[in-house]
Amino acid sequence: MRAYIFRRLAQSVLVVWAVTTIMFFMFRVMPADPTAILLERGLTDEARQALLEQWGLTGSLWDQYIAYLGNILTGDFGSSFLYRKPVWEVLTPLIINTLWIAVPGLLLGAALGAAIGTAVGWAKRGGKLERSGIFLATIIRGVPNFVIGIALLTIFSSTLGWFPSFGMGDPGETTGFARYMTLDFLHHLALPLIAVIIYFMPENLLLMRSGVVENRTEDYIELVRAKGVPQRRVAWHAARNSMLPLITWLFPALAETIAGIVVIEIVFSWPGVGRELVLAVTRQDYPLAQAAFFLLAVMIVIANLAADLIYGKLDPRVVYK
Amino acid sequence: MVAVASPRFGQRPASPATLAELEKLTERLARKPAAHLLVDGLSIGYSTLRGRFHAVEDVSFEVPAGTNLGLVGESGCGKSTVVKTLMGLQPEATQVSGRALLDGQNILGLDETALRDVRWKRMSLITQSAMNSLDPVYCIGDQISEAILAHEPVSKATAWARAEQMFALVGLPAGRLYEFPHMFSGGMRQRAVIAMALALNAGLLLADEPTTALDPIMQSQIMTRIRGIHAHLRCSMILVTHDIAVVAETCENIVVMYAGKVAESGPTAEVLESPLHPYTMGLKNAFPRLPERGAPRQPLISIPGVVPNLLLPPAGCRFASRCPFATEVCHRVTPPVVQVGAQRAACHHTDRAAEFRVAAARPETWRTMRGAV
Ligand SMILES: Nc1ncnc2c1ncn2[C@@H]1O[C@H](COP(=O)(O)OP(=O)(O)OP(=O)(O)O)[C@@H](O)[C@H]1O
Ligand code: SF4
Ligand SMILES: [Mg+2]
Repeated sequence: MRAYIFRRLAQSVLVVWAVTTIMFFMFRVMPADPTAILLERGLTDEARQALLEQWGLTGSLWDQYIAYLGNILTGDFGSSFLYRKPVWEVLTPLIINTLWIAVPGLLLGAALGAAIGTAVGWAKRGGKLERSGIFLATIIRGVPNFVIGIALLTIFSSTLGWFPSFGMGDPGETTGFARYMTLDFLHHLALPLIAVIIYFMPENLLLMRSGVVENRTEDYIELVRAKGVPQRRVAWHAARNSMLPLITWLFPALAETIAGIVVIEIVFSWPGVGRELVLAVTRQDYPLAQAAFFLLAVMIVIANLAADLIYGKLDPRVVYK
Repeated sequence: MVAVASPRFGQRPASPATLAELEKLTERLARKPAAHLLVDGLSIGYSTLRGRFHAVEDVSFEVPAGTNLGLVGESGCGKSTVVKTLMGLQPEATQVSGRALLDGQNILGLDETALRDVRWKRMSLITQSAMNSLDPVYCIGDQISEAILAHEPVSKATAWARAEQMFALVGLPAGRLYEFPHMFSGGMRQRAVIAMALALNAGLLLADEPTTALDPIMQSQIMTRIRGIHAHLRCSMILVTHDIAVVAETCENIVVMYAGKVAESGPTAEVLESPLHPYTMGLKNAFPRLPERGAPRQPLISIPGVVPNLLLPPAGCRFASRCPFATEVCHRVTPPVVQVGAQRAACHHTDRAAEFRVAAARPETWRTMRGAV
């Protein structure tokens, strides 16, 4: 087990290294000069040279690469071209904003999807619940998530006026954690959060349903029924066994899921990492973009590792070698 | 200090409360009487893509309290269907008619809630496919105690202690309670399923081919164990098997099924000694271990042909296409059930049974099927 985790960690480091290297060359290969955007603000040639040096953009490509890796190892991603601040200073509040919609959104989406999927899978075959459940889930899954976002905005914001249409609200005087504990914040949070839930739920629901449908005719379910335990408990056995395929899908799909959250952030103008990442790329703010990509890569690698370990916890047949 | 298996931690010194509760539980369960079962006119129709058919038709038999009934017949004749339906485990669209009185209460057509009171408490099941009958993600101890906790108001610790008792009964070490099904061999899983079936000392035990999936040595070991346990617990039992010899040793009564119907039933000794139905004669002579008393060793016979398609059951006697003694009437008219003493057989020619028995002992009779004697 320990050897396994160690090996997986080593693999993960390798993956992150590969991603950072690709990132390095990608940004160097792009034609535009990163200082160009600053030129409009009337930069002298000396000042520009100084900036290039400061950002590690002088010297041979190899020298730049070594310097770049060194910086990443020490957690130094440099300063944002645009904000003129260390990138972490820019990113930290954005990360927190993203977590506010991503963590509850994905957890609730998975939990609700699994619960409803179990109910639908356990329901009478060909019955109303089964048919409407599959129908709705399939439709929602087929709709691009920016459409879901726009639909939510149109209905609940423009038409009904229940929720604000963009942003996170005005923090006013409050700072720190208290900033997130205001009604205004929750009011702004509601729609993007719901959008994430709706976006993430159908796949969970359908996977869980097909798992339960498959498991409910297994011999072991027959024996559980024969034992005379409550129906709920029988369904739970089927659900518990159906979680295994769900986990194997859930975590590797995280990259795609994150892309979906980026779209939702943009639709709702939610000031999160994803939205900033897109902005940073269009603004050629490479340090910021690099840091954001790095963050995503690390998250995805960790998620995959977590998936393996959780799977092992859920399925006693798994041995780590 | 007495050590018992406990949830999560392995063997632990039991708390006095647990021991007291366990003792009370054991006493309570030991007082459960053997159950009486009367099945009357049971018909079971499955819906399939190719249409509706009766897997079981008009089956009647009785299991007096404290006795064993052997249910035998070729593969596909509906034995498991009967057993599952008694447990209320038939698929959703199945049509069930007739009655099954368990201690006077009809248990067919009960809803899920009412069934919970019958299942495992009054009637438990040893499944045919023990290899796949255990949930792969729970340890065995959890699965046995789940059954106990569903019906008895005891603590989890007591349920585990009871599970350990059952493990001892089937000869498995308590430490194995913490293991998962995939860590068990086939024989051990079978024993675990038996332990589970015994956990609440139900009045009626349904054992659906408890040994078929095992090797012959394991088969006889498990059968010996079942007999031993059974003698000890004195419940009633329906034993489904292909092995006539096992029935002869274990069961007071026998029901021989053919293509969804009862061919012959009655006290085992009488049915096997002097079968009335040609199918029983064939079945009996197909087994090596029952030479006729005083007679030279019988050559083995095999019954040619296959079971008819139940989707389109033939007119008349269902065995007619394979019966060496079939006459014209057999192919046309459904045979009546004839009672001779305590024996009942569904055959047109029970009056010629003595003559048939002699002929049926000769393998040529079954090889040359001319449709008449
Ligand atoms: N769920 C089902 N749906 C439709 N047909 C079924 C179903 N289960 C069993 N059958 C059919 O019903 C008939 C009786 O099957 P059953 O399992 O009761 O036989 P069995 O006597 O137990 O055989 P075996 O000795 O092989 O276990 C068979 O023809 C089988 O194909
Ligand atoms: S009724 Fe006829 S075909 Fe059927 S078992 Fe009797 S003799 Fe054979
Ligand atoms: Mg069977």
